Parts: sequence; structure tokens; C-alpha cells
Amino acid sequence: MAKTDMVGMAPGAALSRVRPFTPVLLLVLLLLGIGIVEPGFLRAKDLSVVLSDASVLFVMATGMTLVIMLGGIDLSVQAGASFASMVVAELLPSLGYAAFPLTVLIGLAVGICSGFVHVKLRIPSFIATLATGGIMTGLSLLMEEGRSVALLDTGRHEVRWITGSIFGFPNVILIAAILAAGGMFVQRYTRFGRYSAAIGAGEPAAHAAGISVDRYKIMAFGLSGACAAFGGVLLAARLSSGSPDLASQLLLPTIAAVVVGGTAITGGIGNIGLTVVGTLIVSIVRIGMTFVGVDIFAQQIVFGGALILAVFVTIDRSKIAIIK
Amino acid sequence: MDSPPQMPELPARARVSALTTGDGRGAGRPSWLKRRLAGMAPLLVLVALCILLGILSPSFFSFRNLVWGVANQAAIPLILAMGATFVILMGSIDLSIEGILCVGAMIVALLCANDTNTNNFGWLGPLFALLACTALGLVSGLVHVGLRIPSFMATLGMWFVGLGIGTVILGGTAVRVLDPRVRAMAFLRIGYFPMAVWVAAAVFVLALLIERRTRFGRYVYAIGGGEDIAKLSGVPVARTRILAFTLAGFFTGIAAVLASAQLGQANTTIADGRLFMTITAVVVGGTALTGGWGGVVNSLVGTLTVVVLANGMVLLGISPYVHETVQGLMIIAAVALSVRRGARLVIK
Amino acid sequence: MLNVEQISKSYGPVHALREVSIEVRPNEVVGLIGENGAGKSTLMRVLAGTVRPDSGRILIDGTSVSLRDSRHANACGIAMVFQEQSLLLNMSVAENIHLAQEGEFMRLGLLDRRRMNEVARAHLARVGLDVDPRTKAGELTFAARQMVELAKALALEQRTTAPLTIFLDEPTSVLESRDIAILFDRMRSLKSRASFIFVSHRLDEVLEISDRVYVLKDGAVVAERPAAEATVPELHAMMVGRALHSGYYREDRQGVPGAEPVLEARQLTVRGAFESVDLTLRRGEVLGVAGVIGSGREELMRTLFGFLPQTGGTLKVNGQEVVLRSPTQAVAAGIGYIPRERRVEGLVMDLSVAVNMTLANLDVAMTHNMIDHGRERTIADDWIRRLHIRTPSAAQVCRNLSGGNQQKIVLARWLTAKSRILILDHPTRGLDVGAKSEVYDLIRDLSAQGVGIILTSDTLEETIGLCHTILVMRDGMITGRLDAPAEAKPSQVAVLEHMV
Repeated sequence: MAKTDMVGMAPGAALSRVRPFTPVLLLVLLLLGIGIVEPGFLRAKDLSVVLSDASVLFVMATGMTLVIMLGGIDLSVQAGASFASMVVAELLPSLGYAAFPLTVLIGLAVGICSGFVHVKLRIPSFIATLATGGIMTGLSLLMEEGRSVALLDTGRHEVRWITGSIFGFPNVILIAAILAAGGMFVQRYTRFGRYSAAIGAGEPAAHAAGISVDRYKIMAFGLSGACAAFGGVLLAARLSSGSPDLASQLLLPTIAAVVVGGTAITGGIGNIGLTVVGTLIVSIVRIGMTFVGVDIFAQQIVFGGALILAVFVTIDRSKIAIIK
Repeated sequence: MDSPPQMPELPARARVSALTTGDGRGAGRPSWLKRRLAGMAPLLVLVALCILLGILSPSFFSFRNLVWGVANQAAIPLILAMGATFVILMGSIDLSIEGILCVGAMIVALLCANDTNTNNFGWLGPLFALLACTALGLVSGLVHVGLRIPSFMATLGMWFVGLGIGTVILGGTAVRVLDPRVRAMAFLRIGYFPMAVWVAAAVFVLALLIERRTRFGRYVYAIGGGEDIAKLSGVPVARTRILAFTLAGFFTGIAAVLASAQLGQANTTIADGRLFMTITAVVVGGTALTGGWGGVVNSLVGTLTVVVLANGMVLLGISPYVHETVQGLMIIAAVALSVRRGARLVIK
Repeated sequence: MLNVEQISKSYGPVHALREVSIEVRPNEVVGLIGENGAGKSTLMRVLAGTVRPDSGRILIDGTSVSLRDSRHANACGIAMVFQEQSLLLNMSVAENIHLAQEGEFMRLGLLDRRRMNEVARAHLARVGLDVDPRTKAGELTFAARQMVELAKALALEQRTTAPLTIFLDEPTSVLESRDIAILFDRMRSLKSRASFIFVSHRLDEVLEISDRVYVLKDGAVVAERPAAEATVPELHAMMVGRALHSGYYREDRQGVPGAEPVLEARQLTVRGAFESVDLTLRRGEVLGVAGVIGSGREELMRTLFGFLPQTGGTLKVNGQEVVLRSPTQAVAAGIGYIPRERRVEGLVMDLSVAVNMTLANLDVAMTHNMIDHGRERTIADDWIRRLHIRTPSAAQVCRNLSGGNQQKIVLARWLTAKSRILILDHPTRGLDVGAKSEVYDLIRDLSAQGVGIILTSDTLEETIGLCHTILVMRDGMITGRLDAPAEAKPSQVAVLEHMV
């Protein structure tokens, strides 16, 4: 988050100091609001449902954060997750634990392809990822002629590390927490994190400073693919099967988690920490709405509107002279 | 502290003519013939594809296949592509097609005679659907222009809002359309072709007229060719943008009516995959995603190419699941080939 | 007919226009000359309606007008033919001429394309251009497009009762002499319908076509002469003459460069921009490159940092041949670049001072392959102190700092990267006097440390004052090579001779 150090506060300045904290405030308000309306919601059991859902969403949103920070978008995450769910379900019986890293690697490879197509062939990211998403969906359908793949008994053992819990805490939450910590570490302490922030906040300047912009962009898309694949693995474990449309409802919430958290689609301002907040907000709203009885499809309306609102608030118009 | 605006650079292109004498067009530009060929490439691809399929599968050129396998299948994608073309010509994108189509189909199904309620409003169903879809397009345009949000975000939001509205109205199940008049909109045979094809043809002519003979059409190209120059010259950019998205909504509405008529029902998946196909059709046809180049004729060629390819895969017995994969590859190839290598643009 | 009275415009500390008064009478061509930065382009923008002056007024036929935007300027009879083409290349000639005016051609609610083309053809005939109006603008030669723009400007005649004034901005810089003759011929025949303001750095051409000439210098009108009475040397002198405040560029600190070359270019070529450039930069030398826009110097600077790949010739850094295809390679070769557009290419504005300083050489801030924020902070604080950068802290976001301090941060970045060659692209643009003199001192410091510097600047005076050697470019080639030792600086006229 941008740090400013202003002596004396003009009215505009006050607003911009508050702005970075809006997502957190929103989260707190949400929790309070729901707690008042439906106190049962905040019981540990239901809270862990929310957190588990949030964990899977967060895994996907982590990769998306990296891409959006660079000013692009990855519209293939749901296709990637679904594809990965099928791959891991297919491979578990024969490869055992090795199926997990292999699936994530496949996701990484596909993401790198998306990135390559975007960067080297100069295709806008939404088209490139729309296309690779389509290819992956096609492959998912092809694998089992449109059917899903159930996790057999042999597979069920291997996924215990995902579906189990430690001291009552579902493992997925821990997995997500580890990923969050790892992500924040990468952003703050690695070259990749630093350069991504620079490219997102000022690509021409990063380029003029000698940073290989192309390489880091491709890496970001690769990681997004890997995260999507990992998300698919988690989903497959929790749902005990892989299918071509497993994650089809997850594209919008993933994007919303990143944007509502405060990462600007103009790039630069944003980090994994913000996405944690955004993911929690989105998950609470999702589960909360279902709890209160709102249809899952109607939730789309809410998210669509919230997405637009969040973008409106976070976008940095000085970065784009002409809004296409 | 700002620096005063400096005199901008001469484009490199300009100096080319200065330094290389003789070649009036400037060195480095492909010859007139090459550029004409490049412009015709999508059409040549289509023709080549048809010939190839004709050889591989004799039934391709059968009357029945051309009418039902190609023309009829192309009707709805063509109508959607018309709307998308105007938006893409400006350099923007419309991702909301599926959402808006869903809403339109739902309205048609639920207002006409159907199997879930006692409504029987006949022609009012399609009319309201059209109005609703146009209104949604207008909203997209207003959000994009008024809130100054990039089109892909604004229409992404509308995509999901539309899907949500559609399924909320519907409640999750499929609604069968029972009104024969509505169904006739797709199936009534006039001459050799079903009504859907005639509707698509009419839409195409309308789109062509708009593109060639209205101010709006000119302005769309101007915005795509150079929005800052257009603005300086007095082109009403904001108004044109909003109108383009509204028009796209309108065309999507027509497609929605036809889709529910063709399918005989409306359900939550009625719009699935159509966005991808529409963009593929426009891009394969040669319209540049950066705007300013291409047009509805290009989109016609592109739509036919995509539909013919799909038809060919069916005739050749290739698994339908390969279809999406192939489309994905097509779109990448088409965009990569059409991208003009210029100065280092920042592609997002 | 058209009067500009006491127009002033400032951008922060920079006075772009100082009480400029110009008169354009009916049926005449008025020439406007001045160096880069003298105020010509600002004046043009004021007349075009895209920039509002701070004070002064514009009078059309005696009536004061306040120009709201370019359409309003058009309605007042002012038309612009810009140097950087403002035609839409994807649309036809006729469409360009009639852009945003199509309402005149409606028939039954639809555009009458045939009439649009016919009318366009008539407009084109008036400038003597024989081109099918349906041709796409992108397919025409530069010269032809220039004529189309002229036709478009003249078409204003139909739409306004105000007298027509057409502003031509450097129309001849890339025209061949044959085309220039045609342009002038047309202008003379069109004088009956419009007056022209002709801006150019080619003084002989200005004298050839103009009736009267105004000379701008440092934002003010310093002279007005009937063209028949003026001579090129006289105009030169008025354009640049200025008592050189000795010591302003710290000439006293200008040493003697070392002998070994740190950068050598032989026959360096970028097709379409410049050809066969030979250049040697010695240790500690400050080398200036002078030239007008279009001379190729901007591209040369970009090529030396890898933005623009060379198409021919060789480049050697410290004796090793290098091929620079991107800034990444240039940085690896030890070259640094301070860009003209500081806010876009220089700094990542929304990141902190410290981050910007280590951006080109993150290794110095890394311990065990991780970014060590403490170490980074120390490095940043060190530069803040040594370069006297005024910022609340190293964590401050760059956006809010002043131009001078921002420039120093960019410099600090290259010092952190230990660059031995620096390319300075208009390093004092947008800086106030105080900041400029700090930059001059820094340049002397670097030079004394053996850093080789290649410099381009807005003003000739600055180039001459700062540099040991000056290369002059024109039309893509080097046309002059002058020594500028501290005790024997060449005059500006001597340099200008090679530029124009």
C-alpha cells in the first residue's frame, strides 16, 4: 500500500488516507452486520465453512492478484481449475502423491503459454486467456467425453492432507494461510515481487530501468495458472471428483476477491494481503447470502454490481488517458 | 511541476519518405498487392476451407447441409457478431453477450405461452425481451462512459449481472416455449431458408447500412482510428460509445429471441460459449482488436469460417469436445497474424 | 485581421510565453521563427484553442474572442496543420476532410457518400492534389497527406464567415524540395482566400515564402521584420543572441576528458531515422548532440540505450562490441539513461524513493538472495544526503516530490547501478533555475569521476555550455563536429549553421 507522509490534512487528503483501509472496514462492518442479523452465523462451525470456502477461493485469487497487478487479467482460471481437477483425479490412482505436483506443474506450463501468447504475440491478455481457457475446457471435455472423474478409494487416501483437519481446523485453511504467508513473502522480499510491483505501477519506467518486462509478465501468468491448478486440486479433493465445469462459478468471485480487496486493475497498487481481505469479504457475502436464502445465481447480480463499484473506486485514471 | 507540452516527435514513418527517394509510398511498406491480399486473407481462408471440406466430405456441399448445417447454424452467431463488431471497431470489447442473451431468452420464454405459467402475451414477449436487452446494453455503455471504467470490466460485470438476473427470473429450471408463432420465428420456411436465416440476413443488411451510411458508423471508425484526433475534430465520442454498446445489446436481444425460438426453451445454459464464438468470429474475420480496421463484412466472413469449421468437424465425425480447443487455437492464430508490429505499445 | 495581444502563459516556473503580440493581416504569410523552447508550439496551442492563456487576448477582426476548444477556433477561422499529422489513417481522404461535419451530407437520413466524395474532390483541387478522395489516408505519401490537411483547413471557408488564418507547423521538414516548391506555389495562390502563419526552423524557406517575419526567443517576441529586408544571418543572431552569463554552466569545472574511449559507434544506422553515425565518447567526457526535431538525434539517444535496435553499424562499450536490443542489455553494459519524460519513463511514481533508487541494480540491496529493506534504506539515505535530495524520507512516494528532486532520484539509481556511461535526454526539462544549476554541478561531478555522458538538451546554449564536444545532426546524418573547451566555446551561430 502506498505510504504517504503528509503534514496537515486537506479534505481530499483525508479521504485518500482512509481509502486503503476501506476493504478492512468493509469486512469488519460485514461481520458485525451479519452477527447482528443472524448471530448463529458466527458460530465456529459455520465460520469454518466460510473459511474453507474462502481458502479455495484465495488460492485461485492469489494467482489472479499477480496478473491483475501487472495490469492484465486471467479469464482462464476456472477452466484451469476444472482441467486440473480432472487431471489430478485421473492421475491419482496411478501416480499417488506425485499427481499433485505434476498437476500444478501442468497448470504452470499452461499459464506460461498464456503469458507467452500475450507477451510475445502481443495479444491482449483477456483474449489470450479466454483462448487458453477454451482450449483447456475442450481438453477437459475430451478426456472423459464430457463426464466427470470420481476419486476412487485409492485416491481418497492421498487427499487426506487436504480434506482432513488438525485440532478442528480444516487443513485447507492452513494451506491457504501458508500460501498467503508465502505470497506476501515473495512480494516483499524477492526480485519477482519487486519487479512485478514496478511493472504494474509504471511499466515504461520499469522497462527503462532495465527490467525484463516480458519475462516477468510471463512468470506472473505462469503462477496464475499454477494457482488455478492448485485450486482445482483442492476442489477435486473436497468434492471427491474432477469434472469439466467444476469451477465454472468461480471466475467472477475470484476476480471480485482481488478487486474488492483493493488491488487496482490499473496495476501496481495491490498485494496478496489485500486479496486476503477481499477473499474474506467475497466468501462471507457468498455464504452469508446463501445462509439468508439468496439464490446462488442471484448472487451473481450482487457480485457483478460490486465488481463495477470496486473498480470504480480503485481505478487510477491518471494512468490511462483514453479509457477503451 | 509540469513541463510545458513539447512539440511531439515526427513519426518514424514520415522520415522514411524523406530518406529514401523514389519510392513514393516509403520504404518498408508492403506493396499494394501484398496489402490487398492481406485484406482478403480471411475470405481466402474461408474459400479454401470450403473446398477442403467439399473434398473430404461430399455431403458438405449438399443443399440440406448448406441450409441447415451452415446457414441456419450461422444465423445467431452472425447477429451477435454484428453487435460485437461495432464495439470492437472502437477498440473496446463487449464481454456481456452471454448475460444479456440469457435475460432476453428468459423474458421471451416466460411471457409467451410456456409450460410454467399461464402467460400468453404472444408478440409482446419478444418485444419486451428486445427492449430489456437494449436497456442492458445501454447500462453497460453508461457505466463504461459515465464511471470511466474500461469496457472489459464494465461488460464483465454486466455479464454476470445479466446471468444472475436471467437465472433469478427463471429459478433454475428450463422453461419450454409453447407458442407456435414464436417458434415459427426460427423455423418458418420462406423460400429455401428458415426464418432465422432471413432475420440474420436482414440484421446484416441493417448493420452494413449503419456502418457505411450513418454518421455513427463513421464515428466508430474515427474513434478506433485515433480517439484523440477524433475528439479534437469534434466527434461526439461519449455519445457514440454509449450508442455502440446499446446497439450491441439490441442485436443480442434479437439473437436471444431467435435462440429461445430455435431451442424451444430457455435455460441457464442457453448462452454458454457464445461469447467465445462471437469473438472468434470477429477476430478471424480480420477486424482488428485495436480498433479502426475491419467491419461487418469481415465479421460475416469470420462467422461463416467458424461455422463451416464446426460443421466440418461434425461431418467428419470429430468429437465435439475438440471444438472448443480448436476454436481457442483459431483465435490465437487469427489475432497473432493480424497484429501489426508497430512501436512498443503497452498491451494489457 | 487576427491579432494576438500580450498573451502570456506559464507552466509552473517556466514562462512559455511572455506578453507575445502578433498581427496577421489579410492575404499575407507571416513567418514565425525561434529555437526549440522559444514558445512557438505554445503559441500554436493557444491559437488552436487547446491551451488557455494566463493573460492577454485574441482578436478576430477587432473583436475579442476567448477560444473554448478547437471547434471554436475553427469557427473563428483558425485552422491548424500540425507537424505530427492529424489525419485518421484508417479512413478515406473524403472522410477525413468532412470529419464531424457529415451533417451537411445527409439525404433521406443516410450519408450521401457520392456527394461527400465530389465535394472533397473540389477541395482537393483547390490545393492542386489529384487523388481519389476514396483513398485511405494511410496509403498516401507524407507530402500528399500534408496537402489533404491543407485542403481540410481550407474547407473551413464553407463553414465560417470569419477570415481564414491557417497555421502551418514545420510543414517542410520532411518534404523533398520538389514538394516544397509545390507547397509554396499553392500557398501563394491561396493567399487570396486565407492568411498563413508559417513556422519553420529553415530560415531561408521562411524568408522565401513570408511577407513578414516574427522572431521568438525565450517566450517573447524580440523582432519583427519585413521578409524582403531581413537576411538569414541577421535572423540567426536574433534567434539565439544572448549575453552568455559566464559560469552559469559551471564551465570553470569543465576538465579535460580522458583518452580511453568508453563508447564507440561506427556507422551506426537505424533505417528510417539516422545513418552512418560515428561517435566516440571518452572517459569523463560530456558529449552533446544537437539537432532539430527530425534530425535523428532523438532516435540516436534511444538507440544508445537499446530502445530502438540498430539496423546497421557497430557499437562498442569499453572496447567490447555490444548489440543493444533492449534496455536490459544496455543496463548490463553499464549504461544508464535519464529520460525526457521523467514521470513516465524515469520513475515509478507510486513507489518509494528507495525502491526507485535500487530498481536498476537490486543486487546491492539483497542479502542471501532476499531483499534487505534495511540495507536498501541505508543506500537510499546515503544518496539523499549526498545529492541533497529534499524528501521527508526514503519511504516517500515519488509522485509528490518536485521535478528537481525526482531527477536526482533517477540519477541516484544509475549511480547505484554504477553506470559508467550516462545518456541524458533533456535533463533539465521542466526544472527551475535552482534545480538546473544543481544538475549542472552533478554533471561536472560525474565527469570528474570519469563517467562518460552523452547529452541532448532543449537549448543550444546549454549544450554548448556543458559539453566538451558537440555533434550536430541534420536529416539523419552528422553534419558537424565541434570542440567546446571551457576557454573557447563555439558560438551558437557556428553550431546552428550545421543544424539548418
